[in-house]
This record gives sequence, C-alpha cells and structure tokens, in this order.
Amino acid sequence: MEPKADIKSVILPLLVVGPVEVGRLLRELLEIDNMIAQAKLTNKLETFKLPKTSSIMEETTRLNQFDLLKTEDRKVLFESLKDIALKAPVLHMSFSADPSPAFTAKLMDWLRREIHPQVLLTIGLQPSIGAGCIVRSTNKYFDLSLRKDLLSKQDLLRSKIVSVMEPAV
Amino acid sequence: MTIWWLILILATLASIGVAFIWLIVKINGNGLNSSKFQNESLGEAAEEDVEHVFNEKFREELRNRGLLHFEKIIGENAMFLQQDLRLTTAQLNDYMKTEISSKLKEEFDKYEQSIMDAKQLAIESIQKTNTAIDEQRSLMNQQLQSEMAAEKQQLVERFEKNMADIINHYVLEAIGDQIDLNDQLEYILADLEANKNAIIEDIQSGA
Repeated sequence: MEPKADIKSVILPLLVVGPVEVGRLLRELLEIDNMIAQAKLTNKLETFKLPKTSSIMEETTRLNQFDLLKTEDRKVLFESLKDIALKAPVLHMSFSADPSPAFTAKLMDWLRREIHPQVLLTIGLQPSIGAGCIVRSTNKYFDLSLRKDLLSKQDLLRSKIVSVMEPAV
Repeated sequence: MTIWWLILILATLASIGVAFIWLIVKINGNGLNSSKFQNESLGEAAEEDVEHVFNEKFREELRNRGLLHFEKIIGENAMFLQQDLRLTTAQLNDYMKTEISSKLKEEFDKYEQSIMDAKQLAIESIQKTNTAIDEQRSLMNQQLQSEMAAEKQQLVERFEKNMADIINHYVLEAIGDQIDLNDQLEYILADLEANKNAIIEDIQSGA
C-alpha cells in the first residue's frame, strides 16, 4: 500500500467508514455522471436537476464544497475516491457486539484525527472478546481486549484473589 | 475272691479226708506189723467197730453236716462275693468317676489351653492386622495429602495460567450482555492512543 502523500486530499465524512462506502460513493458518482452525459446528449442540460443523492454523497460534497453539476468537481472527486479506494490505509477492528453508528462515528473521528485523515475501517464481530477490541493494521495485530488487559494485570488479580480468600481461610 | 475262698474250702475238705484215710491205713498197718495172724480177729473186730461207728446213719449225718457246712460256706462266700462285688462296683464307680473326672479335667484344661492359645493367636493376629492397617492408613494419609497438595498446586497453577481467560469468561457470563460498546469507547480510545504510534508506523511503512 502506498503512503498517504499520493492520495488526493479529499475530506471523507465520518459516515464513510470503510471501502464499502467508498465503493458506493464511486458507483453513485458514476451514475450521476452518466445522467449528466445523457442530459448533455439530449440537450436537456439546461433543465437538468440533480437527483436526490445519498446522505454520504451529500456529506462528502458539502465537506469538500464540490458541485456535482461541474464536470471538473466530479472528476476530482472520482479520482480522489478511486485513489482512496486503492491507496487509503485500512484498519480492521473487531468488537464483541455490533457497534452503533454513533460509536462508529466517534471512533472514525478519532482515527481520522490521530492516525490518518483518510483511514478506512472494516468492522468485525468477535463475541469472545468481552470488552475492548482487536485491531489489525497492515502488518500488525493489536489485542486491546479485556482478556489481554487481565493478562497484563495478572499479579494484581492474584493479589486481589489472595486478599479475598485469606479471610475466608 | 470268692473262687479262691471256694478253692480253699475244697482243699481243706480234701486234706481232712486224706488225713482221715491216712489214719485208718495207719491203724490197719500197725495191726499187720505186730502179728498178722494174731490181730486178724482184732482187725475184724475193729472193722466191725468201724462199721459200727461209721454206719450208714453216721455217714448220712456226716454227709448232711458236710452238705450243710458246704451250703453255709457257699452262702457266706456268696454273701462275701456279693459284698465284694458291691464294694468293687463302688470302687470301680469311684475309680471311673475319678478317672473320667481327671480325664475330663485334663481334656478341659487342654481344651481351655488350646482356646487360650487360639485366642492369643487371634489377638496377636488382630494386633498385627491393626498395626498393618494403621501403617497403611498412615501411608495412605500421607499419599493422599501429598496428592491433594499436588492436585491443589496443579489447580492453582492452572488457574493462574488461565486466570485471565477465567475472569474474562466470568465477566462475559455475568455482565456480557450489559456491556455497551458506547461505555467502552473511552477505554478503547485510550488503548488506541497507547498504540497510536505503532499503528501509524505500520501504516506508513506500508505492505
């Protein structure tokens, strides 16, 4: 995977979480482009109105101040999204339960702020985790689960158990 | 005893008869020696006197007396014999009683002794068995304690080894359905913050 410097600087909304959403944006953009091309061919461009777009497309164009009626803006957005789909870093995170959109949004906010502005995230389910999460980056595996935390605090657990058991004995 | 008495009486009677015959022969012999011919008349007279003294009546009386005497002696001897028999029987009874009692006592003593020996053997055997059981119990107790200690140690080691998993499992079972991801956000972000540099480094290094 290429470093982020090569990716055109399009701001991704928090609703765009992973490659799936990027793909959806690309397909939607292609559809709009096709509609405009058809309107141009039928000489209806003057009266052409953009159809209602998805919320993620609206958010993307709003954040990047793109006008989808402009060919140049569509081209820039399309190229940027293609770049993102091909080159953006992808993290995989597993949780014990399906995260809510609000949770995902907060998480994406942190990731895009602290890790990479165009980082994408795929979410997996792993009920045995209990609490916490497991993060898999390109080459690394980070176990941030409660189990791992308990393992690192084994001495503390032992001392707590002993202190609880001693009065009973 | 009665037979000996009878033999003695018969011997006495026989000796009396022999003496009587010898006396007659002696008297007759003396007459022949002095003068056979002179004494023939005397002999005949003596014979006549003898015949006269020892006539049938006298002989009959003698026989009767002898018979009576003989019957008396036999009766006495029978009585003596009966007394002796009774005495012998009584003695025999006493003897038998004494012998049987002594034998029985001896046998009982032996029996008692054998019972005592058997009892002693049984007691010794029981004591040995008890000792063996005590030793075995002590050994088993020691083995059990050592095995229990080993098992306990093994359990503790296994628990310590899998403590995180056990507690994690317990937490999941107890409050697994109550842990909301939103509540964990701060914890997750703190962990991500701690590993931020490593994640960035990995992203920048690329595949």
